[in-house]
Amino acid sequence: MIDPYYLQQLAIGLSLGMTYALMAIGFTLIFGVLNVVNFAHGEIYTLGAFAGLVLISAAAPPAVAVIFAALAIGALAGFSLERLAFKPFRRFTDEASLKSRAMRESTLLSSLAVSIVVREGLEIGFGSQMQSIPFAYLINTPVRVGPVILVTGDFIIFGVAAAMLVGLQYLLTRTRTGLAIRAVSNNPLGAKYVGIDTDRTIIVTFVVGSMMGAAAGILTGLYYGAVFPAMGFIPGIKAFVAMVMGGLSSIPGAVICALILGIAESMATTFVSSGWSDMVAYGFLIVTLIFFPNGLFGARRERV
Amino acid sequence: MTALLSIEDLHVAMGPQEILHGIRLTVDEGAIVAVLGSNGVGKTTLMRAVSGIYRPRRGAITFRGTPIAGLPAHRIVKLGLLQAPEGRQIFSNMSVRENLVLGGGDVGLGELDRMLTLFPVLGERLKQNAGSLSGGEQQMLCIARALMRRPSLLLLDEPSLGLAPMVVAQIFDLVQRIRGEGVSILIVEQNARAALRIADHAAVMEDGRIVLEGPAATLRDDPRIAEAYLGGHTH
Repeated sequence: MIDPYYLQQLAIGLSLGMTYALMAIGFTLIFGVLNVVNFAHGEIYTLGAFAGLVLISAAAPPAVAVIFAALAIGALAGFSLERLAFKPFRRFTDEASLKSRAMRESTLLSSLAVSIVVREGLEIGFGSQMQSIPFAYLINTPVRVGPVILVTGDFIIFGVAAAMLVGLQYLLTRTRTGLAIRAVSNNPLGAKYVGIDTDRTIIVTFVVGSMMGAAAGILTGLYYGAVFPAMGFIPGIKAFVAMVMGGLSSIPGAVICALILGIAESMATTFVSSGWSDMVAYGFLIVTLIFFPNGLFGARRERV
Repeated sequence: MTALLSIEDLHVAMGPQEILHGIRLTVDEGAIVAVLGSNGVGKTTLMRAVSGIYRPRRGAITFRGTPIAGLPAHRIVKLGLLQAPEGRQIFSNMSVRENLVLGGGDVGLGELDRMLTLFPVLGERLKQNAGSLSGGEQQMLCIARALMRRPSLLLLDEPSLGLAPMVVAQIFDLVQRIRGEGVSILIVEQNARAALRIADHAAVMEDGRIVLEGPAATLRDDPRIAEAYLGGHTH
């Protein structure tokens, strides 16, 4: 018989991993269509959480409305981010420019700039200290499952994230918009020849990816009861690690690696103090980069 | 016959370097027009400019009466001008079916059955990744993908490149069948012999200019063509 403690840590790790997965998908989708890393993705997560917080303090709506508000802000933030930090560096004159190195380097810096401006902006507006979420909105009511005690948040996070993953899968395989996203990821020049509006597809990709990032932010905020301007940084790095481990452009790879990461971190707290659990992710990153430079799932170079 | 596509004084530049120096070319309704020339004379640049991948520096391109020079590629596709591009540019990580669905775009899958009759081999591979197809099959997928939108003009950029002679013959037969179904064709080829056999009209490009132009039958017998592109034989 396994000690219930481990089952509990496993469940917590799964829900933690799901939030990383939501973040990692945003990274992966955007990397797929543009071949660039979006350094402002962590701030999308923060914005999602703050959108929820602001709405809660202003109107005290039902929790579902809070999540939808975060999704809406995520979509808006993704759209603005693309127009502001990515579009100006893109010139569609030949196939090389869409995934060129110059674009990669300039958007790396422009997205980093957006990230800094957003974080500092939030600090000016809200202060850098933690804002607490009103008690009524917290998702930490204990739930007993056999010998294991979990909280409602574990189920809600897992459920919402799983629903979003299924929705994403449907989008990418069954809808014209999703097929266009995959087409641009696979072959941007080919996409133009079949009449795909690549510019529009890139915007849609940012919107979808950012909605998932914002959802991760608000869910984590409600789970831990705290929201602060720098909250997106660490999850951003964890999601980045999951993306690299998954092979940069494979969504299933990123999701599986995000779950492995979440479970490994939560298990690690058994053996080391929780302050050290962040080291797990960085350890994974180093091991991946040394021994699996293509990522654990990257050998096939499957995109999106 | 009326002109389906007319290109007037087309200049295209890549940065400071001009590649096309004033191309003039017409494709009549129902015709197969071949553009011949060796590597690097600007044939692909011409095709990309017509499809809207490159913006012309100067000149006019008119398709069915609409000026299309400078329009983005996806708008040109909507007008019914499709291209099976050089290097095929299929979606290698997606299934054959998904490639065809993307080809259909907002026109839908109305042409799917017809494509599978025209290219039966694709029907057997619908679920397979496009990247796993052979070169000839990929070329067929590339052409079928373009035809999914029921184009009135199909551009073919080096459809024979890298294919075995038997497959080339098969592809050229298909091109003639496609023309028989009412699609006009502008084809760019290094394989001048094969192209002249099916074309009505042909133009020879050298260094960004058209240096020779006329009915394909005349060009077939032109000693200059025979010398430069047909390996010294006239038949």
